[in-house]
This record gives sequence, structure tokens and C-alpha cells, in this order.
Amino acid sequence: MIAAFKQANPDAKIDATIFNYPEYLVDLQTRAASNTMPDIVGLQPGALTQQYRANLMPLQDCAEKTWGADWQKKFYPIGIEQARMGNPAGDENFYTLPLLVQTVNLWANTKIFDEKHAQIPQTWDQLKATVNQLNGGEYAPFMLPAKDSWLRNVVFLQIANNVEPGLVYKAEDGSDSWTNPKLVEAFDYWGKLFTEGIAQKGAIGLDAYPTGANQFEAGNAAMIPLGAWWIQQSDPTKTGLPPLSEGMSGYQPFLFPTIPGGAAQPQLVGGIDVSLGIAKNTKNPDLACKVLTDWIAGAGAQKLINTFNDLPAVTGLNPEKFTSDRQKQIWTTLTSDWMPQVKYSRYLKTPQMDTALGDALSGIATGELTPQAAAAKVQAEQQKVNG
Amino acid sequence: MSDHTVQKHTAPREWLAGTLFLLPAIVLFTIFVVYPIVYNFQASTLDWDGVNPGRFVGLGNYTRLFQDPIFLTTLKNSGWWILLTIIPQALIGFFLAMLLNEKLRGRAIYRAIFFIPAVLSPVVVGIVWQRIFDPFNGVVAKLGRATGLDFLVHGYLADPKSAIFAAIVVNVWMWTGFSMLFYLAGLQLIDSSVLAAAKIDGAGTWRTIRSIIWPLLRQTHLSLLLLGIIGSLKTFELVYVLTEGGPNHATEMLPTYTFKQAFQLQSVGYASTISVVLLLIAVISSLSMVRAFGSGFLTGDEK
Repeated sequence: MIAAFKQANPDAKIDATIFNYPEYLVDLQTRAASNTMPDIVGLQPGALTQQYRANLMPLQDCAEKTWGADWQKKFYPIGIEQARMGNPAGDENFYTLPLLVQTVNLWANTKIFDEKHAQIPQTWDQLKATVNQLNGGEYAPFMLPAKDSWLRNVVFLQIANNVEPGLVYKAEDGSDSWTNPKLVEAFDYWGKLFTEGIAQKGAIGLDAYPTGANQFEAGNAAMIPLGAWWIQQSDPTKTGLPPLSEGMSGYQPFLFPTIPGGAAQPQLVGGIDVSLGIAKNTKNPDLACKVLTDWIAGAGAQKLINTFNDLPAVTGLNPEKFTSDRQKQIWTTLTSDWMPQVKYSRYLKTPQMDTALGDALSGIATGELTPQAAAAKVQAEQQKVNG
Repeated sequence: MSDHTVQKHTAPREWLAGTLFLLPAIVLFTIFVVYPIVYNFQASTLDWDGVNPGRFVGLGNYTRLFQDPIFLTTLKNSGWWILLTIIPQALIGFFLAMLLNEKLRGRAIYRAIFFIPAVLSPVVVGIVWQRIFDPFNGVVAKLGRATGLDFLVHGYLADPKSAIFAAIVVNVWMWTGFSMLFYLAGLQLIDSSVLAAAKIDGAGTWRTIRSIIWPLLRQTHLSLLLLGIIGSLKTFELVYVLTEGGPNHATEMLPTYTFKQAFQLQSVGYASTISVVLLLIAVISSLSMVRAFGSGFLTGDEK
């Protein structure tokens, strides 16, 4: 991405540092405290962006200067909506702009499904039936890497939005309650993943990365909840790809099955993967703006999208080369069919609620909490957060 | 010039020279130890996200901490960790050291094999053992299914009742070699004439170990005890990778909870409170040990 930008701007000098996520949080906080913020910084929407809001410059002028007055139309709607998530009332500034977006969804190992003449499930009952059909093999019919709080939360949000679309966010803003029977029902269906033998044994002890992802890629699972970013497994710039990942030959994305009595169609949940912001005290605001906008929608963005790392935040940006028809079909599904329709956020607004929800779901998974008790706990935390 | 005058002139010079030699260490100690402690204590009096201005809350964080059920869980887990880590590591490490102190063929290789886990990255150890313990696809579960030993198929890391003990098993596996090394060093220091005399007097192996070797390794025991307590209180990477403190905080330790509060929940003030308490526990443990057993095990003196 740097090289692509520098080709058009040879005088520019860009130093980039890549971290793993926990170390990144530590580094960022240290830099903010020591007033040594980098010119451009990657952030997740919501709480993380808000934590650094005072250190960031508003970006709408940069965006308008680069893309014109209707620049917001370039982005998927959920990206624009989430970019200002958590802004104080009346603050309409964009402190970050989305770089990559994603849906959260399920993936099927089509080789297993073909071998077993099984159908990708569309409803909860079909999910149960498919799991029964696929049981007994060397693979998990439904591999749920539930150790990670973020994964528990995104699976629950898919279930909850299928039970009653949008209700979770009403509970979040206080206009409804987490103890609403429909949300209790959603907690109940989460629990059923464990009590009805849908998820594999020991699911709460398995992490998504690296173990769950490795297992799925090795063919040890028929289904797994992850997200659009799974397409990165077919990154054509990598060599030695596992057979299933070559051109996405062994995978098919699908949405979480509908829940009995809930929405007739599965709902789309997703949002920003990562955004970019510019430090308020950057010595090079014009250059930083040029780099940021290039990496979001220019030559740098094209380089990034060519790796299939995730979905672009802007519409109409596609990889220059597909390695298979399957890969292209999946890309089209994700970017043209799903992403424009994503209405429901994969994030809650505050880390306290993310944690409270993750803990409640863990409690249900281990049998320590009933759905009702879990809902009550989450509601209690929500009341604290909302003041 | 008299001797008294010479002493009067050399004493301040010696004092100055001594101080100058100590100064680099004092400066480093002040910057990297004292200052962070003071900073942490200051931060613990704030409701602060680490980035934006904080709000002074006095001892409010401490009041909140001692009513926090998760913090109380971390104390309980630390207690289990200390008890069930130090004793097995010491006993197994001692046993291995005794075996590998003998003139065995290939003992250098065996020593290396037993010590290797201690030099592995805790992140790697955590990832590998998570797979080993996976009740669906892990080695232990597969062995259980093949042999009919059902207890091996249990999800130990997924069960809140057993997760902390499963993590402890991994920790014992990882650090026993370290204890072995300490005991090997201690065994080298035992005067062989004492052991020869015991043999002449007719003492058997078990009597020699119980009455001579074990007591003579007192300083090794105490060193391992202190290092074990401090190491247990500091445990982070292994637990974070194995269980992330779950399921449902069942394996939460003080450092993992501190990390979550500081960097996931944006509560640096509260995290600093936990750090201060952790420091106090470590200092009190160390001072108690010195008081009970003398400082000889630290300095190498007899007492």
C-alpha cells in the first residue's frame, strides 16, 4: 500500500508499524500519553475511536476535498453509521473513516456437505437436522470457537436479530430492556447451541484464532461462525494454500439460520473491521489526508483489496484478479448482495456492554446462568452504563 | 600526617566513590521501579481511561475492588496457583535432579529435554496445550476414546470447575525443568564427604535424602518458594492464551484482569488499583519469608 502510494507520490516518506492487537492497544495508549501519536492510526469504531477522539482531527473536510460533497455515498451505509458511533450528542464529526468492512456470518465446508449430500441449513430446525446428519465423522458438524468473547457476541447478535430484528440496540439505548422476552429467547437459543449438541464438545475452550480457523481450514469442521474476512484465506499473494482455501473451492458463506417465530429472513449483521484516523497534531495534515484517502479508495486500497483481506469500505472496489469463479461468486455475494443491506451492528456501543454480554453468554454456555439470569445481569450493567 | 588525618580524608573520598559507583543502578532503579510504582499509585486514585484527563476518586477504586467478585476470584485462583504449582514443581524437580545428578549415559540430553519447556514461549505453550486439551479433537480426548478412559474426554479448559487446575497442570509442565535446574545446582554444592560419611554410617538412600540432602537444600527450597510466589502472581501470557481468563472468569488471574481493565475496558485507574494490590501482596510475601527464614537464601549467607 505504501509502495502504491509512493509510486504516485515519490517524495512522500511513510513509516508503518504493524502490531498484534493486544500490543497495539498498549502502544497506542503509551503514544497518546506521551503525545507521540502517529500521523495515521488504525482504530475500531465505537469505544476505541471515542477514547482517542481528543487526539484525532475531524476528517469530513479531507473526505470532501478528495471525493466531493456527496462522499458519504461512496461508503456502505453501515460504515458511515458506525464511523460516528459513540460521538457525543451534537458532534457530527468523522474522527475516523472506514477502511475495511465485514459481515458476520457462517461458513460451510462444501466438500463435507457434498460428500454427505447435506444441505446448507436455512432454519434452526434444518441446522439441528444437518448437525445430526453430519455427526459421527472425524469433523465437527458445527465448530463454535466460543472461548473468544467477540465471537460469542457476534453469534448472539446474529441469533438475536433473527429473533427480533433491531431489539438488541433498543435495549442498548434504554428504550427497551435486555429482559424483554424476545431477548431472553435469543439467550435461550444461544444456550441451545450447547445443550442440544449443535456445538462441538468443549466449545467454550476453543479459540477462533489460531485453533478454530486452523481446524476449519484443515477440514475438521463442516460449519463455523466467522465473517466475510474468511475470504482472505484465498489470498492469491500467498503460496502453499490448503486445498480448501485455494480459490475458496471448499467454502460457501451463509447467514445464521432463522429462528422459529422470528424474522422470516435471516438478518445481516456486520460493520467496520478497521478505520483510519489522523492525529490532531500531525505535522503533515495534507499528506496524511492524501495517504488516508488513497488507502481507503485509491491505489493503496486496490493493493489491499487484491489480497482479499476483508471487504472494502467503499462500494465498487473489487480485486483486480480472481483465482476462481467460486471466489468471484463469493466476493459478489459479500459485496453486492450482503454488505449494502447490513443494518445491524456487530458491535455494542461500549466495552462494558461487550464484556457484560460476553460474560453472560459464557455463563449460559457453561450452565452457570439461565437465559433469564443472564439477561438480568446484562440489563443491570446496561443501566449502570446508561446512568 | 597522622593516621587519624589520613582516615578522615579517605572516608569522604571512599563514600563519594561508592556513591558514584552505585549511582547508575540507583538512577535505573528509580526510573524503572520506583517511578512506575508511584505512578501506578497515583493512577489508582483516578477514574481514568489512560488517554483523556482522569477524575480523582480517592480510595474509591479500592473500595470497589474489594467488593468486586472477579477480583476475589483472582485472589482465590492465585492461592490455588501458588499452592498447586510450587509444591509439585519442587517435588518433581527435586526427583528429576536427583536422578540426573547420577552418572547416567546421556544425562545432559535428558536435562535439556526437561528444561526445554521453561524456555518456550508461553504463547506457544498455551496454543499447543489448548489443542491437546480440546475434548473434540485433542490428543488427550483421542487417547481417552481409544482406551475407554472417559475422564480423558472431558473438556477441562471448558469447565469452570476444572479450568484453573488444567491451566495449573500446564504451568507445572512448563516450569518443573526450572526447579530441576535449581536443585541440580544445589546438589552440586553439597559436600560429597558428608554423603560419604552418611554411607559409611549405614544410612540408606531414603534416609540420606530425608535427613541430609533435603535439609542441606534449604536455600534452594526457599529461593524456589519466593520465585514461585512472585511468578504465580505475575502469570499472564499462559493463562491469557489458554483461556483468556475464562470460562466466565474461572481462570482469571490478577495480571489478566489488570490487562482487561486497562486495555479492553479502558479503566486504567481501576487496573492500577489491581496492580498496587498485587505489588503489596508480593512485597508482603517476600518480607514475610525473609522474616520467617532470614535473608540468607537471598544473599547466599548461612542466615
